[in-house]
Amino acid sequence: MNNTLRPFMARITSIRKETYDTNTYQFKLKKNPGFSFLPGQFNMLGIPGVGEAPISFSSEPDQKNKFEHTIRAVGRVTQAITQRKEGEWLQIRGPYGRGWPTEDARGKNILAVAGGIGLAPLRGFLLEVWKNRNDFGKVVILYGARTPDDLLFKEELPLWRKRPNTQLLLTVDEIPPKTRWEENQGVVITLFDRVEISPQNTLALICGPEIMMRFVVVGLLQRGYSASHLYLSLERRMKCGVGQCGHCQIGPKYVCLDGPVFPYNEIRGLPDTLV
Amino acid sequence: MVKILQKKNFCRWIDSLSRQYALIGPVKEREETEFQPLRCPEQLEMDYISTMAAPRKFIYPSRQLLFRFTPQGDDQLITEEILPQSQQILLAVHPCDAHAIMVLDRVLMGEFTDSYYTKQRQNTFLIVLNCQKVDKNCFCDSMGTGPFLHSWMGQDPAKGCDLELTDLGDRYLVEFLNGKIRKLFSFPLETANDEDIQLKKKREVGIKEKFIKKLNIENLPSSLRQNMDHSVWSRIGEAICLSCTNCTMVCPTCYCYNTVDTVKLDLSKSERYRYWDSCQELHFAEVHGGNFRSTRGARLRQFVLHKLSYWMEQYGCFGCVGCGRCINWCPTGIDLTEIVKEIRGTKINEQYS
Ligand SMILES: Cc1cc2nc3c(=O)[nH]c(=O)nc-3n(C[C@H](O)[C@H](O)[C@H](O)COP(=O)(O)OP(=O)(O)OC[C@H]3O[C@@H](n4cnc5c(N)ncnc54)[C@H](O)[C@@H]3O)c2cc1C
Ligand code: SF4
Ligand code: SF4
Repeated sequence: MNNTLRPFMARITSIRKETYDTNTYQFKLKKNPGFSFLPGQFNMLGIPGVGEAPISFSSEPDQKNKFEHTIRAVGRVTQAITQRKEGEWLQIRGPYGRGWPTEDARGKNILAVAGGIGLAPLRGFLLEVWKNRNDFGKVVILYGARTPDDLLFKEELPLWRKRPNTQLLLTVDEIPPKTRWEENQGVVITLFDRVEISPQNTLALICGPEIMMRFVVVGLLQRGYSASHLYLSLERRMKCGVGQCGHCQIGPKYVCLDGPVFPYNEIRGLPDTLV
Repeated sequence: MVKILQKKNFCRWIDSLSRQYALIGPVKEREETEFQPLRCPEQLEMDYISTMAAPRKFIYPSRQLLFRFTPQGDDQLITEEILPQSQQILLAVHPCDAHAIMVLDRVLMGEFTDSYYTKQRQNTFLIVLNCQKVDKNCFCDSMGTGPFLHSWMGQDPAKGCDLELTDLGDRYLVEFLNGKIRKLFSFPLETANDEDIQLKKKREVGIKEKFIKKLNIENLPSSLRQNMDHSVWSRIGEAICLSCTNCTMVCPTCYCYNTVDTVKLDLSKSERYRYWDSCQELHFAEVHGGNFRSTRGARLRQFVLHKLSYWMEQYGCFGCVGCGRCINWCPTGIDLTEIVKEIRGTKINEQYS
């Protein structure tokens, strides 16, 4: 019998600094015990003596032995991970959950709306789309962060903008003094009017703070997006990842098993959410 | 295989059980009865009504060591799994509690199996004792889990339990539900006759008439789902509920847990534990930047709706077996059957008016 809670060790092969509180960690498995994942799924990352936290994959899925996690230090586990160096290891178990609707998205336009750390779970999906560019329609990315310093993947964003048939719009809430910023200021929905895409045949994939997702959903529905074309990745407290610790329940749903990516119609009307 | 055991032989029968197993059963503790490891069969309190803690704690302990991690240099980590080793017999478990264990089986031995629960469950024999008494807060009859043992919502006692006992006055009716348990007893039993079986039926009819508390379960999951904004949640949640977590600690089907890591003082080892958590705790649905159930009303609704509504969608049965413990042990007298009655618009108990 396999112990679902038993982690294995994965070595950190490189660390990239994204912002003052966020790093991207690359892992490489020496021997792959059948490990493969889909964009939007997550791992439980752990450190003995500290604990475990759910973290999404931020890299593309076709590199099975090599994967990345982009982690913002906000609490016990994520801060302890920040102390780890290249060549050291973390405990990992997963992959868990339901990812982005990659199959449904084929042949359609993609509107990716991300806030803050919410771009991390979408990155793997976008990289996958660009790798199979002809399978998908237009890609529009709306990304909002608190300040220009909070933007993730800063070196990649200009390259994303150059991808074929792709529109990338950035926005920040605040511009600290002496900071250069030539893009939009305001919440992410203030970008909606500049989106060059029609609501028909477009899937909207949304990830960010839940209050932001609420406004994005309302805004998109007003602009004629069908509710069945909206997908949201939700965050809840999680201790197990396999539907047993109970923390991530929203009504009858387990975010770890039924999500974290949900079609909007599946969670609409459930209690204890902001969306 | 149906047998008869004279009550005067009861202790010798229990004594004949294989020594390989720890015996756990209801024991009198001051005013209460509690499930405890037995020193001798005479300790058994066979006339009990209910216990404070449910027997689940012997299969799913309130605090449990999962792993011990020992680093070896910078590069290696030895991970020890601490699986439960004991083999045990749970004696005189009432039908509601037996069904609650089968409910936990659905949660923890489903698509993902929890190794710790599964190992202990597989090393546990369940001896069920049909009820003779009804407490004012018992409503197993409404839920369908008791007072006598039957199949319930896809849970077959022949698969989840091992032996069924019925008190017939001076003797017990002993029904072996599988062959494995029969081999554990070496004391010979008499064969039951038709009269004994008829008497069991009569006793069941008799006790079913004694229930005071009732819950109408017709369309219950959906009618609760339609009343998530009912004023009862905030009124009782905010004005009466203390968020003490008693309800979830005594409930025989609650499964939620938290994990915690500890480090040995000399840093040589660390350990990962889990312990029962409760949706009534403020931290339960907290994440960085917010709390999805910051009000007591939302937390009370989570408890009641999980037990009586969501559970059905998740597992195909209710999460409530009608044991009445959450009512018995609520310090402010909150009663989920009264909440349901208020939502269904029938007369409510005065304490809420
Ligand atoms: C599916 C999923 C995917 C995710 N993906 C990512 C990702 O890719 N990158 C990323 O950075 N994050 C991600 N997260 C979020 C991350 O898992 C959380 O931020 C997690 O809480 C971090 O764990 P921690 O131990 O560091 O924080 P914790 O110590 O759990 O602290 C988190 C917050 O909870 C509060 N808190 C913690 N414990 C208590 C307590 N006992 N009482 C009161 N308050 C408490 C703290 O104030 C803090 O604000 C994801 C979450 C989910 C569910
Ligand atoms: S909800 Fe209350 S009555 Fe129902 S099983 Fe749990 S403790 Fe017993
Ligand atoms: S969510 Fe609450 S009521 Fe449901 S099993 Fe967990 S602790 Fe019990």
